[in-house]
Parts: sequence; C-alpha cells; structure tokens
Amino acid sequence: MVWSLTRQWMQITCNCPYWLFGSRKTTLLNRILTYEHGLKVAVIVNEFGEVGIDNQLVIDANEEIFEMNNGCICCTVRGDLIRIVGNLMRRRDKFDHLVIETTGLADPAPVIQTFFVDEDMQGQLALDAVVTVVDAKHIWSHWESSEAQEQIAFADVILLNKTDLVSNDVLEELEKRIKGMNALAKTYRTRNAELEMDALLGVGAFDLNRALKIDPEFLNETAHEHDETVASVALVESGALDMQKLNDWIGYLLQTQGTDIFRMKGIVNIAGEDNRFVFQGVHMLFDGTRDRPWKPNETRKNEMVFIGRNLNAAQLKEDFRGCLV
Amino acid sequence: MKSSIVNSQQFDLHWRGTLSDYVTAIAWSPQGKTLAVSSAAGEVMLWRDLPNTQGNNWPLLPLQMAEGQSLDCLAFSQDGQKLAAGGQAGQVKIWCLHDDTRTYRCKPLHTIENAPAWVDKLAWNPCKNQLAFSLGRYVQVWDADTNEVIATLNFDTSSVLDLDWSPDGQKLAIAGYQGAKIWNAQDWNDDPYVLVVPSASLVIAWSPDGKYLACGNMDRTITVIEWNNSITPKSNDISQDFFPWVMRGFPGKIRQLAWSQAKAQLDAPLLAASSVESIVVWEQANDLGWEGRLLQQHSGVVQELAFQPNSFLLASASEDGQVCLWQKAKKLAQILQGAPNGFSCLSWHPQGQQLAAGGQNGELMVWSSFSRRATTGAAMTSSKVTRGQGFSSR
Repeated sequence: MVWSLTRQWMQITCNCPYWLFGSRKTTLLNRILTYEHGLKVAVIVNEFGEVGIDNQLVIDANEEIFEMNNGCICCTVRGDLIRIVGNLMRRRDKFDHLVIETTGLADPAPVIQTFFVDEDMQGQLALDAVVTVVDAKHIWSHWESSEAQEQIAFADVILLNKTDLVSNDVLEELEKRIKGMNALAKTYRTRNAELEMDALLGVGAFDLNRALKIDPEFLNETAHEHDETVASVALVESGALDMQKLNDWIGYLLQTQGTDIFRMKGIVNIAGEDNRFVFQGVHMLFDGTRDRPWKPNETRKNEMVFIGRNLNAAQLKEDFRGCLV
Repeated sequence: MKSSIVNSQQFDLHWRGTLSDYVTAIAWSPQGKTLAVSSAAGEVMLWRDLPNTQGNNWPLLPLQMAEGQSLDCLAFSQDGQKLAAGGQAGQVKIWCLHDDTRTYRCKPLHTIENAPAWVDKLAWNPCKNQLAFSLGRYVQVWDADTNEVIATLNFDTSSVLDLDWSPDGQKLAIAGYQGAKIWNAQDWNDDPYVLVVPSASLVIAWSPDGKYLACGNMDRTITVIEWNNSITPKSNDISQDFFPWVMRGFPGKIRQLAWSQAKAQLDAPLLAASSVESIVVWEQANDLGWEGRLLQQHSGVVQELAFQPNSFLLASASEDGQVCLWQKAKKLAQILQGAPNGFSCLSWHPQGQQLAAGGQNGELMVWSSFSRRATTGAAMTSSKVTRGQGFSSR
C-alpha cells in the first residue's frame, strides 16, 4: 500500500459536537483511539489491509457511490456509509464519535455530502472536520496527483507529518504551497502525527455558528503563484451586498462551476441587515444562515473563500463586486 | 375515532419481556407456536404462549446470549423447524426446532461463516428449505436438506439492500443501487431480469399473490410492476416490458413496504408504504392507476408496517413510541404503547390474533385480540397514480 502522499480521515460526531481522523498505520488513529477521552469511537476504513488497530468498532467499507437520477453531483452519496452507520446507530451504547478513512478515494466529496443529504445521517450526526495528513518528504513527487490535491483542498486540518525528515526551508515552502491551495485549513507540523487532541477533536469545521477564520496573511497577499490547478481564492471587500444580487450570483456560480468548487465559506454584510450572514458549501450543496449581530465597534465587511479547481480569481472578484450596493 | 372502535378488534397487552438492547428483528414461526426475536447485542430469544403454566410470566428462552455483535435479521423456514439469524459477525446460524407445543427443544444445526462481511438480510424460500442471505454485493442460497450453498448471485452494482422470494418460491428479487434484479430459482445461472430505478431501491416486496412486485426507492418513489408470466421480457431491463407504475410525492426515502393478503377492488391487494413519519396506502383504482391516501398520526420515523393476515387491519410501529392499528388501512382504531424510546419492529401472528412488537431499548410486547372479524375493502379518496407517472399523495 502506498503511504506516501496524503492520508485523509473524516470525523463525524454523534449528536454532540465533537471530533476527527488520522493516519491508519497506527500513529494518529491509534492515538485517537487510545487517548483517554472516554469516548466510544467507531472507525470505518475503506479497504482491507493490515489495519493494525485494536478496536472492536473497526468496520471495512467498500466505496459504493450512489448517484441519483438527475446526475447532480451534490446528490451523489456513499450508499455503504448510509447502510453501515444506520446499522451502528441502533445500539444503545452507540459510538460517540465516528472516524471515516477517505484515503485513496478519487473524490472525498460524496462522503461529506452523505452527511448533508441523507435524512438519517443529517438528523443524527454532525460532520466535525476533514483531516489530512501530508507526508512532508514524499508529497513533492506527487503534486500532480489529483487525489493528493483534492485531499488537501477538502481539509479543515492538515498535519504536515515527518517534519524531521525535511529541512526548515522545505517545510516553509510546503506550508506556503498548501496555503495557496487551501486558505481555510489549519496546518500543524508534526513528527509522528503527535498533536494535542484539542487541535483534532471538536473542530466544528462544518458548524456555521463558529466563526470563519481566514488567515489574515493569506488575505493580505496580493498575488499568489499557483503551480496547481487546485487553489484558493479569497475575496475581501468592505461595503454592503445586495441580497438578491448575491443570491443570483451564488446560484449561477454553483450551477455553472459547482463541480469545480470543492468548498466555500463566507461571512457577508447584507444591506439593511444588522446581522452577519454566514455560509458554507461543498460543491453544489449550500448552507447559509443569519448569524449574530455585527458588534458596534466591528468593521462591517465581506469575506469569502473559494477552494476549487481552475478558478478564475479575477472573474470571481469582479462578479462579487457587482453584488455590492 | 369512537365509531371505529365498535367495529374493530381491540388488542390488549398479553405478555411483555425484555432483551438487553435494540430489538432488531422479530418473527413468528409459520404455525404460530413460537416467536423469535434478535437484538443489537447479539441475542436470540424464543417465546411461546403457554397459558396453562405461569400465565404472563413465561420467560424468554435464550437461544444465544449477547455476544456483542449485532444480529440484524431472523427468519423461520416454511416448515417452522429451522430458524436462521445473521448479523455483524458475518455468520448465518441455523437452529433446528422441535415442533412440540409444550417445550422448547432446539439445537444448533449449522453455521455458515463469512466474516467479516455483514449479513444484513436473509429469507427462507416459502416453499422449500432454502435460505437466501446477503453478503456484501452477493446473495448466497443455502439448501438445508443437502447442507450446501447452491447459488452465489452477484448483485454487482452495490451491496444488497433487501431481498424477497416470490410466494411460489420460483423467483428471488434483490434490491440495491440502480434497482432490482430478479433471479429465476429454477436456473440460478440464468441472467436475472433487471428492473432499473434511477437511484437505489432500499426495500422490495412481492404481493402475497405473487402478482405484483414493489420497490421502495431512495429518490422518494415506489416502482410497482405487475408480474405477468405470459409476458416474456424482451430486454434485460424489464421496465421496458412491464411498464411500471411509479408513485411519487413522499417526504423522504421509502423505508417500508407491506402488501395486504386480502384483496380489495379489482382483485388487487393494498400496498402500504412509509416514508419518515408518513404512511401512504395505495389501492388499485382501475387498470391504469393506483390511488393513495395518507395516514397521519406518527410523529417519528415509521420502522415497520404489516397487514394483519387476511384482513386490511394495518399495524405501524414508529420511533415515536406508538404502534398504531389502522382499521381497513384507513382509520386509526387503536394506539399501543410500551416502548417510550420508540418501537423498532413488529410482526403479526400467522392467524392474526396476536401482534408482537420490539422496542429500541429491548422491550418486547405481545398483544392479543378479543374478537376476530374480517374487514372489507374501503372506498378511496385523494390522489391517483397512472402508469409511468405520478402525483403527490399530499
């Protein structure tokens, strides 16, 4: 088994807001499983192999993609997860936390979508975070891999692992490159995937009520040089947006470019509204809500981040400005 | 509701017991002498109604104690002498039961090992001692007389989500992603008929007369075909030859389907379907279409539906902690309770005088009726469905 690119896990919480994923080969996942958190963790791995995890709740799942008739990619879900999780949810002492390995998948989106689209998953579980472990040494020969690119693009937490095997310069370059692809993820340097559990558990990355945090440095950079087709585009504008125009634009954007937009998040200032509006999206799935009121001393502004493939930053910016009142 | 009670059967609690976790499956033996139940803790228990012994305190006999891994399906063979159970351990266990009313005599007969695949569904051929069970994308058919696996069927497009034998035991219908495949039990090597559904079929059920086959789908539709043996399907996709009816307008995916044994208009049975907390009963109104009516009472997901044998009395068990009895599949006649955290499954006694239900916290209840009377067909209202298209049931 290739263990050189990236490893990705998704963590799903059962009812209560909680946590995440790790690397299968013992390290991160075993740390999560053995950590004294008093939680019952179920693990779904996507291919059989030397699992090497001593946990009763390790379940093998073969990826079964269910596409619905309309061909809409956001309705594409993982049938195997619906079946397995539905079965696990029956137990009285059911799991507190579910970790799903998504390593090796062409597209991690159906896993995320399953938890938004399926009525059972949606009602009983909350997606906490997508965690990707990047091998700091071997990733360099795999930048062109679309699997590696997408796993970085979808992540909320990125662990740069095996940092002891590369120089500091290389690490800095790596961080810069990852930031260009995914401006939203929190990145950590680790050696044996050792990291404080706080950074991994209860991330709440899909919780709209948690503040969107965009690295100010990323926003301040004027130009990004991208070698990859996968990149982040951040838009920051002061002023107020026209709700109707914004809706029309986002609707059009998701319709025409939803396939290429992996994730998006934003906090916006709507004309005539005292509250912030927050939203997030995964491909064509869109979830938005009215958030807390703007504070009196707070500067009202609009922040949006798109992570996707072949995004046209200039066009996005122009269209976005067109929504300003 | 008052007027309905006069004409309806009343059910009273007859017996109750407890398992250690969620009751996953419940089944009466075909002769009605034994009730078997399984739980998410891996238990298999038997219960017999022995009125002359200790009345309501007759205990559950453990056939298998809690082993930790969930058992998810359970069924009696048509002769009532074999009980099969499957689940997360990847085993299908078969016990042999002696048909003696006064005692429990049973012994393990055989275990089919297939770990780590889960066995989610199993069903006995209604005419022979053949057991079909799911194993991931495959279904195996095991012959109890020869103790051999006689067929391994590859559903191929996904894991098997449901399976059902036709009442004559000649066909085995399997549901999953992109619809249903129907194998001919006379020649397992024959290519199956394929009923294409543009999403996934989650549940599948033959009508007791073998005339209709219904698939409940993930895209909130039901597909029904009239199985006419005189038509030889010309293509692989039988939806081209059988012109399925499609029922639409459900609030969520279709979770349960139940056909009545009794016949209504046009010599057709009723079809009850559930989606989230709604139940819709469909009745064939004319050669072209079915009419549906909505039964509303539940406030939680309906977990199982079943018609009383030979009548239109419909029972529905829900997560809201209620088992509702619907007179003529129409009017709410009685609400049974006893599982505050929700019911998970139910099963009618083969003669219909008792109803058993299991709960999400391990509750097991058996209700008995005092008077028995047949119910007849009911007048229809509300929406219509015609071949190939449908309208909302709401």
